[in-house]
This record gives sequence, C-alpha cells and structure tokens, in this order.
Amino acid sequence: MDDYKFLFKVVLVGNAGVGKTCLVRRFTQGLFPPGQGATIGVDFMIKTVEVGNEKVKLQIWDTAGQERFRSITQSYYRSAHALILVYDISCQPTFDCLPDWLREIEEYASSKVLRVLVGNKIDREDREIPMHVGEEFAERHNMYFLETSAKESDNVERLFMQIAEDLMKQARMTNIPRYDPNSQNINDSTSNDSSCCSRLN
Amino acid sequence: MTTDINYSDIEAKCLQELQKLKLEEENLVSELNSMVNQKTFIEDKIKGLSGLIPKLKVMKNEAEDLVFTVNDISQSSEKISGKIRKLDTARGHVDECLLRVNDLIDLEICSQGVQQAILDLDYEKGAAHVHRFLSMDQSLLKKTANDMNNVSNMLKSVRTLQEAAAQLRAIVEHKFSEAVNNEDLGSIERFFKIFPLLGMHEEGIKEFCTYLRIKLALTADKNLKSAINTPLADKRYSIIYADTLILLFEGLARIVDTHQPLLETYYGPGRLLSAVTILQKECDNQVKRILMEWTKTRQIQRKIQQITELSRMSSSASFSKIEKIDPKDMDILIGEITLMHFRCELYIKFLQRKIMADIEVGISDREQKEKTLKQLDQLVLNSTLSQCKHDLLSHYLQLEQYFMEESVAKAINMDILEASQHTSSMVDDTFFIIRKCIRRSISTGSLDGICVIINNACRVLENDYCTVLKARLKQGYPSGYLDLSQAYNVLQNSIQQGRLQSGDTEQSRTAFIVALNNADNSTEYVTALCDSIMKEIEAACPNLNANERGKLESCLSGLSSVSASLTEIIEYGFQQLKSTAIKPRINPWMDNFLNFSHQLTEDELSAYEAGESFAQTLIMNLETLLSSFKEILSSNNYDHFIQVLTVEVTQRFEKVIMKSQFNRLGGLILDKEVRSLAGYITSGTYWSVRDQFARLTQIATILNFDQVSEINDYWGNVDGSITWRLTPTEIKSILYLRVDFKSDDIKRLRL
Repeated sequence: MDDYKFLFKVVLVGNAGVGKTCLVRRFTQGLFPPGQGATIGVDFMIKTVEVGNEKVKLQIWDTAGQERFRSITQSYYRSAHALILVYDISCQPTFDCLPDWLREIEEYASSKVLRVLVGNKIDREDREIPMHVGEEFAERHNMYFLETSAKESDNVERLFMQIAEDLMKQARMTNIPRYDPNSQNINDSTSNDSSCCSRLN
Repeated sequence: MTTDINYSDIEAKCLQELQKLKLEEENLVSELNSMVNQKTFIEDKIKGLSGLIPKLKVMKNEAEDLVFTVNDISQSSEKISGKIRKLDTARGHVDECLLRVNDLIDLEICSQGVQQAILDLDYEKGAAHVHRFLSMDQSLLKKTANDMNNVSNMLKSVRTLQEAAAQLRAIVEHKFSEAVNNEDLGSIERFFKIFPLLGMHEEGIKEFCTYLRIKLALTADKNLKSAINTPLADKRYSIIYADTLILLFEGLARIVDTHQPLLETYYGPGRLLSAVTILQKECDNQVKRILMEWTKTRQIQRKIQQITELSRMSSSASFSKIEKIDPKDMDILIGEITLMHFRCELYIKFLQRKIMADIEVGISDREQKEKTLKQLDQLVLNSTLSQCKHDLLSHYLQLEQYFMEESVAKAINMDILEASQHTSSMVDDTFFIIRKCIRRSISTGSLDGICVIINNACRVLENDYCTVLKARLKQGYPSGYLDLSQAYNVLQNSIQQGRLQSGDTEQSRTAFIVALNNADNSTEYVTALCDSIMKEIEAACPNLNANERGKLESCLSGLSSVSASLTEIIEYGFQQLKSTAIKPRINPWMDNFLNFSHQLTEDELSAYEAGESFAQTLIMNLETLLSSFKEILSSNNYDHFIQVLTVEVTQRFEKVIMKSQFNRLGGLILDKEVRSLAGYITSGTYWSVRDQFARLTQIATILNFDQVSEINDYWGNVDGSITWRLTPTEIKSILYLRVDFKSDDIKRLRL
C-alpha cells in the first residue's frame, strides 16, 4: 500500500530537445538513454522520495516541447504544484523562448505554483548562455535557478529533492488537505475518487 | 585404635577383592566354555578356507588373462573408431562431391534450359533455372572449376547462366512495367512472382507496391473529388471528409490484407514492412490532401483563430466585440474530427499489428528483429499520417474546450428553476455537457485526448461552475428576522444598486436554497461521473498499461478536488444559513426556558404538565421551522440542516439550564423535556442525534437525582457507570443548580 504523506505534481516544460525527458529518466530510473525520440503528448512517471523521514510522492509530467502538442500540455499546468522550465545552455533559441513559456505559465498555471528555471546540458563544450545570464533571468522572474546535466547526472537529484522539500514546507504551512490520503476532509461521497488516487503506483 | 580400623578396612578390601576375583573366575570359565564350544566350528571354517586356496590361484590367472583381453579390445576399438572417423570424413567428401556433381549437372541442365526457356517466353521456367543456379554455392562452384580439367565447359555454363539471369532480370522488369502500363493484372501478378526467383526481392516489392500506389492514388483522387463536390444537402455532408479518410484507410487495409499472403508465399515472411513503407508514402500524400481540403472547406484555421482571440479577450475581462461562435454550431464539426482522429488511430494500430505479427514469424534473429521493430516505430512516428493525427487531436482539443466552456456558460446563464424541483436546470445541463464532452473524447481513441478533456472538465467545474454557486451563496439567506435598522440598510442598498427589487426576499431565499441544493446534487454527479467515465474508458481502451492507467487516474483525481470544493461550498452555505436562519430564531425559543420556574411543588407540577410546557412550545416552533425547510432542501441538505440545528439547540439549551435553578421536581420535568426533544429530533432524520444529545441527557440525569450521592451509581468503576461527556467540574457545577442539594455534600464528592 501507499503510505506517502504528500503527493505533488511536477510538470516539465520547455522547447523541444532541451532534455526534459532525459532529466526525468535520469531522476526516476537513473538512465540516460541517448537518441530519444520526441515526446508525444505527455509522459507520466512517479518517484517516491524521502524528505526528513516523510515519504513524498512526486508525480512527474514530462510534456512534449513541440508546438502541436501545446493544447495537450497546457491542460496540465493548472494542477501542477511545481513547474520546471528547461532550456538548453548550448542553444540560444531555447533561451530566447523563455518569455513565451512564462506567458503560458502565467495564463494557465496556478499563481501559487513553484517555478524553477533549469539550464540543462552543462556537459556540453559549446555553451552559448553563460550561467549568470540564466541566473539573472530567473531572479528577474522570481524563479529558482539551477544548471544541470542529465547526461552526467549533475544536479538532477538536487533539483527534484529541492522541489520536494520546498513543496513540503509550503504544504505544511497551508496544510493542503486534499492530497493527504488520511484526511478527514474527503467526505464519503468522494471516497471513490480518493481511492483511485491511492491506487496509483 | 588405628590398627583396629586398619584391620577392618583391610578385611573389607580383601572381601571386595575376593568378590572381584570370584567374578573374574566365573567370567573366565564361561569364556573358556564358549571357546571350547566354538572350537569345532572354527576348525570347520579353517578346513573350508584351505580348500579355497587352489581355486583362488586359478582365479588370479584367469583375471590376468581378462586384463590382457580387455587391453587388446580397447586398442583395436580405438583403431576402429579412427577408421570410422576417416570414413565419416570420406562420406562427407563424397556427399559434397555428389552435391557438386549435382550442381554441375544442374548447372549444365540449367544453362541449357534457361536459354530455351527465355526463347519460349517461359519466364517461370527460366527463373526457376536461375533460382537453382543462385541457390548453388558460388564460391564452391569456383573451387570446383579449379579442381576440374574441363574448366572451360563449366565456366561457360556459369557465364551463360549469369547472362541469362541478367537478361531475365531485365526482361522481367521490362515486362512488369509493360504489364503495369497495360493494367494487365494477370501479368503483373505473374512477374511479381518471378522477381524473388531471380533474387530481386526488394525490387519486386518496390515495383509492385509502386504499382499499387498508383492505383491507390487514382482511387483516392476520385474519392476526394466526389467529397469536394458533395452537395450541402447530402446526408453525409457533415462528415464527408471523415468518410473520405475512411475510404482511403479501408482501401489500404484491403491492399495489405489481400497481398500479404502473396508476399508471404513468394517472398517469405518478414517483408511486410518494406511493402508498407512504400504504400505509406502514398497514404501520407493522400491524408495530407484530404486534410488540406477539409481544413479549407470547414474553415478550421479561421475558427481556431476566432476561439483563441475570444479566450484571450475573456481572460483579459474586456468586453468582446467578436461575434461568438455558437457552441452548438461546432458540435457537428467536433464530431467529424473525433471520427477522423479515431480512424487514423485505428489504421495505425492495424498496421502495427499486421507488421509486428509478420516480423514475429519472419525474423528469428533477435538483433535483427529489434532493429526492424525500431524501423516500424520510426515509420509510424515520422509519417505524415501521425502528424496529421496529432494536428487533428490538437484541433479537436481546442474546439472541444471552447465547446465545453461556452456550453457550460450558456447552461449557467439560462438557469431556470422548475417548480417542485430542488435543483435548477444548470446542474443537469452542466453535467450533461461535461459527460458528453468526455464521452466524445473517449471516442477519439486517444488517451492523451481523454486526459486533457478530463483536466478541462475539472477546470470548468472548479473555476466556472463552483464560482457561480459560491457567489450565489455569498448573497446570503435573508432571514427576515434582522433587527429593523439592519433590515432598512439592506433594503436601501439593494434598491440603490438595483440588485434587489424591494419585496423579493422570498426570491433571494429561493436562490440561496437552490444553490445549496445544486451544490449537494453536484457532488453526487461528480462521483457518478468519475465511476462511469472509468468504466467507459476501460471498455473503449481495454489494453491500458500500468503507466497509462496511472496517468488517467491522476487526471480523474482532479474530479475529487472538485468534490472537495463543492463540500467546502456547502459548508460555507450552512454557515450562512446558521447565522441568518437558525441562530436568530432558535435563541429566543430556547431563552423562553428562563421564563419557567424549575422549583416546583407537587401542585405546580401538575399545573405545569396540564398547561403548555416549554418543550411542547419549542417542538411546535421547531416543527414549523423544519417543515418550512424540509420541502425545499434536498434530503442530504435537510439532514445537514438538522445537524446544524441540533448543535445550536443543544448548546443553547445547556446555556439556559446553567442559568436556572432546580429542585427535585424541576429536575424531573427537565429530564422529561430533554427526552421528548431528543425523541422529536431523532424522528426527523436518519442521522443519529443521540450523540449530539449526550451531554444534555447527562445534565438532565444529574438534575434528576434524589440525592447528591446518587452520582456514585454512575461515576467511576461501577456497574452502572456511563461514558461521561461532562468533566467533574461541570458535574459539580450542575449539582450546585439543585437548590435542595447541600453544597458541603457536593464539595465532598470525589470525582
């Protein structure tokens, strides 16, 4: 049975080919599968981590970067607890698109959502965006910032653990009751729904 | 003295020793006896053994002979097996020789036959000769040529055959294209079968599929033209492009189905992918053309653009001047898209199934198999068909989202309350729309599509629908029992703002109650929706893997957060109701308790019981209040109402009791009154109010005591002890209410 105390939805967004799937694979399965095809629609992975002796279940939604899947991916913003916006440090256009992505987040996501900017592929020699540029952008838009390499497994664990910790802190403060499986708040008429929630995994 | 002891000691020892010796003697005698007894037996044995000695000598000699013989045999058998091995090799050589001779003979025959066959136009025979030639080990042939004397003859045959093969290849290719030009089906099939005999599998498939492509293109062209020319009045006009798409896929599927056996028989299994890859190019072309026509005719781009602009307008909250598209007009178009998408999905699944089965049978090498499967994935992924499918889904989702939002908005705007109904039309209408949209998404066959529509449904329900319900409850329930100045202010404001026409308190009360009922009813709808969707999806997509199921369930769990919002809304509504409709009315009724004396004589008691008691009046009042709500509230809400009411009544009752003083008879009356009140409220609801009355009942019990010490029958570790809801301090302060109890007695109580 699931015995997790918290469940958080984390959604990754960003241009096609910046390495969203690789980040998720690296974190959830410890793999770096080269030659990944483009993601179709949305992929879904689960990983349970432990933060301060508490089990936290992370539901990670890996979205397709391509434009034509936008109407699919947008629908996942609203229920996200954290949004990871990824760009490729060796590819200027992926950085230039960030404002567009922010606009989308603004439009569809909850205002309370935790937003994280990630510059991926720091293993590459041909860096185009200096670290401080990414940092400044993140600061300007009130986001966390981290540079990662899914290939070398740099900062990947840290990225997700940081998110889990922050969300837990946030949840403790506001006490999000509806994701607590033992909560009294779920009345009898919705017990079916909650059980289908706990049937996950 | 010591000698004395010594003596006795020695005597004892001697006796002991004697005893021991006696025993030993006995033993020895018995042993001797048995030896004597055995003597004859042993002598017999020795005699027998000495008789064996000569026999043993013979045996030893024989054994040595045997060893010699065995050695001999092993040596000779080794020699023999060596010979056999040699024989085996020799036989292998002979076999090989035979094969080579056979090959040579066949070579001769083939080289002679092939020319004749070509001359006779018997290409099957010629190709069979070539096939035989190709099946020979070419390097072996060369070796044979080196080993033999009449080289020239053989080489000539080989050359003849090679030339013939080339010639045949050219002829077959030529004849095939000629047959294609003449549309000579018989010849096409005839030469299609010859290709693999000449080792031209890929060419054969390519030529043949190219021919099929042309035919396919022609049919598709015709179908598309007739679709374009379909009159508006035609029954199938609204889904004519879906029809065209279906015709195309059906045609393709028929080609695959009819030609796969041919392919398998003459080319061997495992080659379907090559064939389909060629056909897919035409499929891609045609799908693209159909979709282009469709986009143009149905004005998809314009509609999508309009919707995007509209949503941008409404999100910036400015009044939109763009004419809204009636969601109803979109209904048919959305239906057509789902149909088109579903057909694409179905065709792709068909291809995957067919090709995978073919690969399974035809390719045994694991690595090769994996490689081919990857090729299949790539073929599907990179096809225009897949891209078109994704575009269709994207269009569908945008339009469906608009349809859902607008239809729900319309349902809310056109909300009406039919007489004798607890809920208004917006509940049924909204959930009808939501269910319809989700059902339609299921018919696309795309799990991603279904998930998105569920997500959107959650958003619309939580953002649009719940917000409206909450807003209506925020208006409050006008009690009509406000104090005068407050009432005046409310009235003034309402009239000034034009919100409320004077005298329509009744109307806003109804609006409030209906909103509360709507919220209650909606929670039931949400639960039912969740269940039925899950079932329908399971029926439509039976092979969901664990991951897909997780995805779906995660999206469905969004509906439980809608439920949670609704529960919150109902809770909020009852808070409102409590403060305006329950508290202000209950409190004076309860305070009436203070108007009665509870220190009665026997006479006063009978007079009180004969007259109108407090409880009777209270129950009558409650009856009026409850009956006015029973009619209008849904049954869940009515139960909820009674719960809230009971809490208020019991709490207030406690308060007024604590303000009163009792004698024995007064306590008796209170006990009776609490019982009748509890009995009355219990009769009105399924919900158990006993718990709610526990404290009050216990207070009445205490006040009904004959003497202070009676508490000991109920308190502590005794038979009659009960679960107390009152603290010891509370019990004492209740006892103090009895004027006839001595405060010293109460003080002395140990609880």
